[in-house]
Amino acid sequence: MLNYIWGGLIVLSLVFALVSDLSDFIQDTYRNGKPLPVTVIFGENYSADALRQPVDVQILNRDLMSHYGDSLITGNTWPGVFLQTSAGQELRFAEGASLPEPLHTICDQTGQDDCRGTVRGTPISSNWQTTITFRPVRWIKMNAIAAAALDFAETAVTLALGLIGGLGLWMGLLKIAEASGMLQALVRFTQPLIRPLFPKVPKDHPALGLIVLNLSANMLGMGNAATPLGIKAMQELQTLNKTEDTATDPMVMLLAMNTASVQIMPPVTLVAIMGLQINQLFFSILITTVLSLTVGITAVKLLGRLKRYREVNS
Amino acid sequence: MNILQIFLDYASALVLPAILVGFPLYGMIRKVRIYEVFVDGAKEGFHVAVMIIPYVIAILFAIGMFRASGAMDFLTDLLRPVVGLIGIPAEVIPMGIVRPLTGSGSVGIILDMINQFGEDSIFVKMAATMFGSTETTFYVIAVYFGAINIRKTRHAVPAGLIADIFAMFAAVYVVLFLFG
Repeated sequence: MLNYIWGGLIVLSLVFALVSDLSDFIQDTYRNGKPLPVTVIFGENYSADALRQPVDVQILNRDLMSHYGDSLITGNTWPGVFLQTSAGQELRFAEGASLPEPLHTICDQTGQDDCRGTVRGTPISSNWQTTITFRPVRWIKMNAIAAAALDFAETAVTLALGLIGGLGLWMGLLKIAEASGMLQALVRFTQPLIRPLFPKVPKDHPALGLIVLNLSANMLGMGNAATPLGIKAMQELQTLNKTEDTATDPMVMLLAMNTASVQIMPPVTLVAIMGLQINQLFFSILITTVLSLTVGITAVKLLGRLKRYREVNS
Repeated sequence: MNILQIFLDYASALVLPAILVGFPLYGMIRKVRIYEVFVDGAKEGFHVAVMIIPYVIAILFAIGMFRASGAMDFLTDLLRPVVGLIGIPAEVIPMGIVRPLTGSGSVGIILDMINQFGEDSIFVKMAATMFGSTETTFYVIAVYFGAINIRKTRHAVPAGLIADIFAMFAAVYVVLFLFG
């Protein structure tokens, strides 16, 4: 199933990006190469042959509307710079100018910090009416998905390496717990509760203790501790696995209990976002999480009986 | 309600220090060579982190592309009339779609919704309940199964998604029931 979902995500991204870019192309959404009327307002100390001078750039509502065929764009006056070079004349909007769509997108695509376009003619007055032509914009979504793929691949490495510290700490502590007999005591104490869900794990197996620790950490909203504990539990379950690369029933169950997330304490991130409001949500989260956990466990049990999901070596 | 909450508050604040001190202390009493054993175990942390990298890259890059392609908006528009029939407001659909895919993405959505509707809004409550009661399913699968090199995930994905979809509906109804 993961193969299909993964492939589906990739193929669908390509299809959607292509459709979106082609429709931009057909409708000429960004009016590539077409001049947009603007008024360049020069300051008091205007000089005809200054190479670079500060200006205000005014774009009128009606010009924007008729140019882009969208009645919701509003024009404004933005600060900018007027440049004259041997290659031509250029108008640059000040960095960080809040331009309306689609100007914003057009300028975003050019890769420069400020928004630029070429202007024609010579300034004849301090209120110079001319036109601006932006660099053509194409394949926006195609560029976006390529950039996102690279970006997220890097994020993945950052995320994974960020786990090293927590993983190391917990793996070390758990090794002590194992060597001192603590884990075994926990297993004996809690297995009547937990083993019905994991019937294929042998009695008194350390995996049961780690599962209990993982689930407790989840309940208390300690996400940072839950992950290493869960991984360690998975490693213990893997020692019982005869197939190496295929998940066993207990693994699927543990995973489902983690994705459904048994949270009694709301996760730290949510507390940070919601502030005081979180107190009101305490019960709604508790009820929802218990319901979805029940559904998750039932789904694992029922789906596990289907022929296509049945365990191979059992 | 308050007593339970206070108790949990204390528990989650005290459990971690108790473990950090308790485990080594108990080991010392049981005459375990705690320093050596700890280092021995901690060594594995690095190994596991490196091992999950390919799995997390695979999952995250596909999700990143999907988000960037604008497919999410299309999906939202597609689902709007369907889930509208059973009383799910269109405002919370993006959260339902993004939550199993990315954690940072769903945080972004909640922040957007707070800006748009205000913290008190029932939509924000629904989205926050969804966030609080489920996990980023695909990331969890990549990390947990990646750590032990499991590639054939069997029914883990469908079961996880069934629970996620159910949680999305449950969050809406529970919030409506409690606050509506």
